[in-house]
Amino acid sequence: MSMFDGLKYRRVFSPIHNLDPRVKFTYACIIFIVAILFWEFIPLLVLFVIQVPFVILARVRREWLRSMKGAAFLASVIFTVNFAVSFINSGYMITFVALEYALAMTFRFLVLVESFSIFFLTTSPDHLGLALEQTRVPYEFCFAFTTAVRFVPVLAEEAQTIMDAQKARGLELEKGNFLRRIRNYIPILIPLIVSAIRRSLELAEAMESRAWGVSKKRTNLYELKLHGSDYVLLTVTVVLLVAAIYVRLYLPVPRLAEIFDYFAH
Amino acid sequence: MVKYATMPVIETRNLTYTYPEAAKASIVDVSIRIEKGEFVLITGPSGCGKTTLCRCFNGLIPHFYHGTLEGEITVAGLNVKEHPTYEMAKYVGLVFQNPENQLFALSVEKDVAFGLENLGVPRDEIRSRVDWAMKITGIYELRERAPYELSGGQQQRVAIASVLAMKPDVIVLDEPTSFLDPLGAKKIFEVIHRLNRELGITIVLVEHRLDLTVKYADHIIIMQDGKVILEGDPHKILDSEDMRLIGVGIPKVTRLYQLLKADGVKFHGKVPLSPEEMAEKVRRILKTHD
Repeated sequence: MSMFDGLKYRRVFSPIHNLDPRVKFTYACIIFIVAILFWEFIPLLVLFVIQVPFVILARVRREWLRSMKGAAFLASVIFTVNFAVSFINSGYMITFVALEYALAMTFRFLVLVESFSIFFLTTSPDHLGLALEQTRVPYEFCFAFTTAVRFVPVLAEEAQTIMDAQKARGLELEKGNFLRRIRNYIPILIPLIVSAIRRSLELAEAMESRAWGVSKKRTNLYELKLHGSDYVLLTVTVVLLVAAIYVRLYLPVPRLAEIFDYFAH
Repeated sequence: MVKYATMPVIETRNLTYTYPEAAKASIVDVSIRIEKGEFVLITGPSGCGKTTLCRCFNGLIPHFYHGTLEGEITVAGLNVKEHPTYEMAKYVGLVFQNPENQLFALSVEKDVAFGLENLGVPRDEIRSRVDWAMKITGIYELRERAPYELSGGQQQRVAIASVLAMKPDVIVLDEPTSFLDPLGAKKIFEVIHRLNRELGITIVLVEHRLDLTVKYADHIIIMQDGKVILEGDPHKILDSEDMRLIGVGIPKVTRLYQLLKADGVKFHGKVPLSPEEMAEKVRRILKTHD
């Protein structure tokens, strides 16, 4: 679960946390697009490294490292598979092309995890819901989103209670083979689902009692406004995108083999 | 203690309600009248229809639960049968038993603002009303916390603040302290007592713990098997022998008073509802013996 830990919001005060979630989301998406533009290793490595200052500025280094560690396993799988495929395709020869391709794919994945991890680590779910609302996503969806986030710790605690109760009745969770273990979880899932349904009914009742659905024009306590720092990030993001497209179209991108050749001679 | 007002804020006449597919009615022939500004205590054994009655007050019954509702019910001058819950919500605030399941937002102030946002109140006014409600209920310092970071008592005060922000005429609380520890419960009762005395909001409180609450009440309604069986001034109701038979836990001081009275001790005045009232009576007797 450690990769998801690295996506969980932490309340810290930093310049990155204060940025508008819409701008941060645009940033994460553009980084993703730029990552897709390149299949060479060097630009992807650059893309990976230039995001590190953001992490440090946001003061979420420890959480970010955890998400990177979590991603390491999947990254190594991506590397192995890509490398193996080109190894076989090139007639069982280890080539620079194969190595570069595998590395590039791996780093593309890491860049993706990195940028979205920065986004999720520094954006409160409340702000995220607000951003959705202000981008004119129907309020019902935004509400469902924030409520889901709000109830994650509640349900986790409840699952723990049910687990303890069933263990006290003699249920052994870590017993038997893989299928058996999955079956062991049924006595935990059923009460959990039943209570979640009951909870949702109570929630609906409370929502009704607080004038849910009364008017089409809902107001919101908060309003997102773009500040100076938001424009800075937006500019950086756009410049990055334009530069990336320019490099892609008009400049030669150094390849691993060429660099190796340069140093070899 | 009894206030004389002329306008009932809640009035029911022969109210009978059956849940969909239920064999028998949950409330039967309930006729009550709650005056503006009263502090009303509803009590009775579990399953006696207290919660069902509360759901009628803001229109969850019949609009949310459907089923068959007979008789008449008027709240804040509106016929509940004709006005949906979201309209009633402006006049009647309902606070539920489980504090956890009535908070939806990720911060306290967002939750308190929820009802006002739904009503489309302008942002500045939401801000001032939310701050006001949080200060009265003593949760202003917690305004940026997430609900799961709060204790049950704090969560319940958030729930009270969130209905208070809508400035209702009546606040109905359905066993608001059954998930709380005694200290948390005491704080809740103090908050609602304040809302009643200082803001004149009518309070309808469903509660088992008469020990802690009866001293605030102007009017007590006792239910059993869906019917109202005793109703009126708490001093009179608690003195009647019927109370004990129903299985409602009467305050210990009241019981002590009854036992001493049965032994022939001569008390003056009305039946005591709180230790303070009892102490006063004992002092008077001790003085006459000196």
